[in-house]
Amino acid sequence: MKKTISLIFAIALLTSCGRNKMEEPLAIGPDEFHASIKKVTEIMIHDIFSPPVASRVFAYPNIAAYEIVAVNNDDYLSLSGQVHGLSPIPQPDSTKAINYQAAALVAHLELSKKLIFSENKLESFRDSLYQKWSTSNPETFEASKEYGLKVAKHIGDWMNKDNYNQTRTMPKFTVDTYEPGRWQPTPPAYMDGIEPHWDKIRPFVIDSANQFRPQPHPTFSLEKDSPFYKELKEVYDISNEITQKGDTSEEVKIAQFWDCNPYVSVTRGHLMFATKKISPGAHWIGIAQVASRKANLDFDTTVYALTKTSMAIADAFISCWAEKYRSNLIRPETLINQHIDEDWLPVLQTPPFPEYTSGHSVVSGAAAIALTDIFGDNFAFDDDVEVPYGLPIRSFNSFNEAAQEAALSRIYGGIHYRSAIEVGIKQGRDLGTYHLNKLKMTKAKELASN
Amino acid sequence: MTYRKGILALLAIILVSCSKKNEELAEKRPTLYFKSIPAELSGLNFTNTLSPKNDLNIIEYLYYYNGGGVALGDINNDGLDDIYLTANQSPDKLFLNLGNLRFKDITATAGIAIDSTWSSGATMEDVNNDGLLDIYVSKVGNYKGLKAHNLLYLNKGNETFEEVSEQVGLDFSGFSTQAAFMDYDNDGDMDMYLMNCSIHTPRSYGKAHKRKEKDSLAGDRFYENKLNEGVLSFENVTHTSGIYSSALGYGLALVAADINQDGLLDIYVGNDFHENDYLYINQGDKTFKEMGAAWLNHTTRFTMGADIGDMNNDGLQDIFTLDMMPFDHEVFMKSGGEDSDKVSQIKSDFGFGKQYARNNFQLNTGEASFSDIAPMTNTHATDWSWSVLIEDYDNDGLNDLYITNGIYKRPNDLDYINYLSNTDFSNYSQSQAYEIEKKLIQQMPTLKLSNILFKNKGNLDFERLTTDAGLVPSFSNGAAYSDLDLDGDLDLVVNNINENVFLLENETQGHNFMVVDLADSLQSTTGAKVRVHSGTKVLAKELTVTRGFQSASSRKLHFGLGAMTKIDSVQIIWPDGSVQTEKDLLANSFKTITKKTGLPQYTYTPAIKPKSYTKFEYTHIENKYFDYERESLIPEKLSVEGPASIRADFNGDGLQDIFIGGAKYQAASLFLQDENGGYQLKKTPQFAKDKIFEDVDAEVFDLENDGDLDLYVISGGNDLMEGNQNLEDRVYLNDGHGNFERLNAILPRINGGSISAGDFNADGYTDLFLGGRSIPGAYGLPPTSMILKNTSEGNFEAVMNGRYGMVTDSQWSDLNDDGLLDLVIIGDWMPITVMINKGNDRFEDQTLAYGLENTNGMWNTISIEDLDNNGHKDIIVGNAGLNLKWKASQEKPVKLYLDDYDENGQLDPLIFYDFFGHYVPFASKDNLMAQLPYLKKRFLSYTDFSKIKGIEDLTGVPEKDIALQLQIHELRSMVYFNNGTSFIGTPLPKEAQMSTIEDMLVNTDGTDKQLYFVGNYLDYVNELGVSDANPGGVLYNFNGTNFQSYRPLGLPKETSARKLIKISDGKLLVVTNNSDALVIDGL
Repeated sequence: MKKTISLIFAIALLTSCGRNKMEEPLAIGPDEFHASIKKVTEIMIHDIFSPPVASRVFAYPNIAAYEIVAVNNDDYLSLSGQVHGLSPIPQPDSTKAINYQAAALVAHLELSKKLIFSENKLESFRDSLYQKWSTSNPETFEASKEYGLKVAKHIGDWMNKDNYNQTRTMPKFTVDTYEPGRWQPTPPAYMDGIEPHWDKIRPFVIDSANQFRPQPHPTFSLEKDSPFYKELKEVYDISNEITQKGDTSEEVKIAQFWDCNPYVSVTRGHLMFATKKISPGAHWIGIAQVASRKANLDFDTTVYALTKTSMAIADAFISCWAEKYRSNLIRPETLINQHIDEDWLPVLQTPPFPEYTSGHSVVSGAAAIALTDIFGDNFAFDDDVEVPYGLPIRSFNSFNEAAQEAALSRIYGGIHYRSAIEVGIKQGRDLGTYHLNKLKMTKAKELASN
Repeated sequence: MTYRKGILALLAIILVSCSKKNEELAEKRPTLYFKSIPAELSGLNFTNTLSPKNDLNIIEYLYYYNGGGVALGDINNDGLDDIYLTANQSPDKLFLNLGNLRFKDITATAGIAIDSTWSSGATMEDVNNDGLLDIYVSKVGNYKGLKAHNLLYLNKGNETFEEVSEQVGLDFSGFSTQAAFMDYDNDGDMDMYLMNCSIHTPRSYGKAHKRKEKDSLAGDRFYENKLNEGVLSFENVTHTSGIYSSALGYGLALVAADINQDGLLDIYVGNDFHENDYLYINQGDKTFKEMGAAWLNHTTRFTMGADIGDMNNDGLQDIFTLDMMPFDHEVFMKSGGEDSDKVSQIKSDFGFGKQYARNNFQLNTGEASFSDIAPMTNTHATDWSWSVLIEDYDNDGLNDLYITNGIYKRPNDLDYINYLSNTDFSNYSQSQAYEIEKKLIQQMPTLKLSNILFKNKGNLDFERLTTDAGLVPSFSNGAAYSDLDLDGDLDLVVNNINENVFLLENETQGHNFMVVDLADSLQSTTGAKVRVHSGTKVLAKELTVTRGFQSASSRKLHFGLGAMTKIDSVQIIWPDGSVQTEKDLLANSFKTITKKTGLPQYTYTPAIKPKSYTKFEYTHIENKYFDYERESLIPEKLSVEGPASIRADFNGDGLQDIFIGGAKYQAASLFLQDENGGYQLKKTPQFAKDKIFEDVDAEVFDLENDGDLDLYVISGGNDLMEGNQNLEDRVYLNDGHGNFERLNAILPRINGGSISAGDFNADGYTDLFLGGRSIPGAYGLPPTSMILKNTSEGNFEAVMNGRYGMVTDSQWSDLNDDGLLDLVIIGDWMPITVMINKGNDRFEDQTLAYGLENTNGMWNTISIEDLDNNGHKDIIVGNAGLNLKWKASQEKPVKLYLDDYDENGQLDPLIFYDFFGHYVPFASKDNLMAQLPYLKKRFLSYTDFSKIKGIEDLTGVPEKDIALQLQIHELRSMVYFNNGTSFIGTPLPKEAQMSTIEDMLVNTDGTDKQLYFVGNYLDYVNELGVSDANPGGVLYNFNGTNFQSYRPLGLPKETSARKLIKISDGKLLVVTNNSDALVIDGL
């Protein structure tokens, strides 16, 4: 007992000693920002967010950080007036010594905390950062924190008007008709279609969820010579071919590498549990981090790169989901089990929403456009994003090459027809290009292109 | 320091209360008490010890903790039942009963194999008709390194056995659970049903037609004994027997009984998981027909154990099956509940029957069907349960239930499942994966529970006994009963995991009994029936031994006689159908009855489906709309009301005609009665035009006072918002010949509930009450209801309107005998509301004054008659009934809290109900979190969630700050007797509480009052389940306070009846929802 008291006393002494020392400037680099995103990604895997919702969790905290960067760094332009509904963030108190990078991180963590569920996991991460900063320079820390929280509140209020809460109580997706070709829940968990009202979420840059409405999928038909049936048969044939080749084949490796299904159900006896991975959006956020590190981007440029990418991804999900529940197309697994082979299993588990267009394709297309704009084409990188989830490293010569492979992986996985990936990647690229033309984030365009 | 003191004080209190409890126990031990005899005294040293291994544990083998079985039978014919016990990873043992509850292990000398192969079930039967009981042991083989085949130990006399399974063709090696012997072809030898179980595949369920595909390891089998051809051998006749033998069947429960009372043993097979249970009716030609769907509306989902016996002494065989629903509120909230409505729908589309993850108490109706009354009897939740044994443990003449439960490691704990989800096996090598599995198993929650006794108190009342009856917490699996010490009561042997087997000595005293041991020198007596007659009482038992779970009980038939000392006669129906009667038997005796020769044949009257109805030319076709996909927290559909049905003379020919409304997209139908009493559909173009409306109620009256009857039809539906033109009520004007045109008028556009006509101001013009059913999208929020005064020809004036509740029915009647029509309104979450007519168009809510303020129910239908002839009108009201998971009382009402907790503009109806003494939220955590995402932060784990005790714990909003609170105090269907100043409630008899009552007719003609009722309701959400135990019946023999007698109406068991209309003398029309209208006899 005595020992503890004296220890506490000693700590108090040390702290008060610190106060008398010279205050150090807060040293904050891109690593802190990367660590923050990594932490949020980990928590998202634990809490299970569906891919569209995950894209929202990335976008808003990034924007909060970016807006603070833009206040301080003349190279960057505020997004207010450029993205729907965002008004200028509060101006900083010029009398105070604010570290803008610290403020950006505070805002990022604060908004992330709002969006995830397991807050305590993020709080312990945040508290260790705060502890460090308040020790080295309490005055700057307090001022930066105050500003960061103020901006987080501003961005949070804007975020709360994006219709997310309203969509929680909207009707589930009903499969009350059994017209052939209409999406049905898929094995093994037969989950409800997720986020049927994601088209009602306020987009960031695009005019509406319907702006990049893709061409319709081939007309549903089970006639053997119809284009639709041929695509269905192609999924089945490719799947059989690569299953025969085995788990070590390049195609199976590609399918598994890009699986990015945050919730794969596994059934064992009375257990029905899930294995968890990151979502497609998180994978591309990871690629953006890989590229930022490789290009040795500083803090501000890193925030810019991730913000730009995350907005493209978020809008891509809104656009893609609008089409999914517009076309309500049935998954290959359902049709193959009904009409071709009752015992067929896709290489990947079919995710619980309609087929057309492929979410991974749209998102990969949009993200690759954003990243190519930031880092240039022919930017080679080693994608080690999925290493923590037991997958290998794959190397790519460009973002577009990675996006093409991600799209193709869905056919190998047996969860999409060819049209969904080809039209999907175009949908994403068109949307990404629109973002480039519409958004003005930098004064000097060639800023970061090496 | 104070902290520590507090703990000490607490400990002291606990100690004090413990000792106090013991004193109390000693003082008033209940009539039903079992004393555990320690192994040191009994010599019954046996423990089913499990040692998980890398490739064999609960993660690798889903039935790793299913435990062992018990087979009891007298192997040496000394009058004492001996004990065979099975073990999973250690040797089985055979114990000889030495009398006085002492046993001797004779495993080695008897020639029983001493190895550690995996035994599951065991049963005893004399398979070669030599008068000696043989033993059959089921094994798990051919799986995960387990190598074994099933064993047949042939009794060679002198307490020795020879294992002959290979010689006789019963050496099956696969996933066997248990076998049952029965003479399926009545040729004098015992044939065998072998139940096997499946193991899981990644697909959790395929289509049901896969049950036709045979599986050589998991499929059930049937073997015919060829002893009558001279030599003991069994032929595999699975393919010709008509049984299913597929990998879909996860067979865990097996009982044989003569379900349809035709003299042939039938078979009940309980399957785990999605596959239906099988009810095989023996066709008498060496085949079985699976008729589960014809006899049962639904079954248990994870069926584990079962028994069959007569629970209400009506001479009919009832079925009790076990599942895994917890009764501890915290465990309940941490475990997976019923399938979501979506998954339930998918399973139905895949061809599987309806199943609930709670016990089923299937009461035999005598009309070739069963009614599940488990929720009504509060026997529905006994946690992870294995064995149920129906017997009269206290000799009071009523069969009780003994249930074993507990799983050593609990894999359905949702926190555990979440924890497991965060582990990715793919990252690890095989040996690392084994290590992780080991850790995962260690993390798996363990919960030790006491086994449970349900004491039958008569009138379908049961009392739950655990520690009071001497039972202690354990992980128990197989169990069997026998009077092991021959003291006139049934003792129990229970096989436990990692704990010595229980020998439970029954210490019941004071009641009389009679034990019958059947003997036939030529063949086994399995399948014989015994009926003990004493006064008006008949006690019936059948001799089959495979019961409960992996176990077999005594062959002696035990009858508790209560206070009865005289037995009039005992009737024995032998397996060959001959009948023998014994008289002058003494109570409290053990009697061996030997089969005589030259006996007469017994004439069976097999149960058949009643054909007491004919189809009426109307079928209601409900549109498909799933309310809970828009409102995921509501307990019932509100889109399946109706159809409106009313009888009147529409064409003025003096004959009563019938109007029946349509569902959405279905035109209403008008049937005109012809002179022969038949009904002819009259095509009405206006009705076809209006088929978009869902007609939920209707009233006839002469709107324009032109001498003919016009129609007011109210519209309903929960899929449209209030104000939608397709919710508008309609008035159809009659031209006097039964031709209708729609009146051009602006009428209410709400989800209507009820309309009643009555001239409340006696001005010669019919006035109306219009009751609102709901506000679409806002379950619980009371819609507007109104009283409309008919001012003159066709003009209505609202003289009163209010939000009384979710109205379902209403009636005008002069309750206070002042010559003015009063109004009674009923509905969901509201009291029986009395509006007293004060004259001058004024009505006063006098619900409180009449003592009805705490009568909030789920009321469906009302009838007002003077039942007790005291000159005052009584109120008879149909409610949801008692056969529901929800329980309601004045003290512990079901509560509905309405508020917009997440401020997104959408009301969130949150329901709490009393779950075995504790309030729990009705919606699951997952369901709540989907609608109210902010709750995810409040409850990161299911353990956090399971601590919720009320609305404030859940939402953070204090009860007093909730915008609207509604309650249910009463779920019983009732009569409220009017004594002139207030109403006093009396519940209708039990038979009327088994289901919802949706409509009633009271017959007051003649000397006896009769109450005809129809019901069932199939549209509660899956968590609450269907109400399907009684489609309709008649209560009669009214003695001034209640009805003394009951008979069923003979409606199909799955009927969802909505209206009951008298259509002619002796004929009633039953209008159903989403099915055919039926004509039955009555009145």
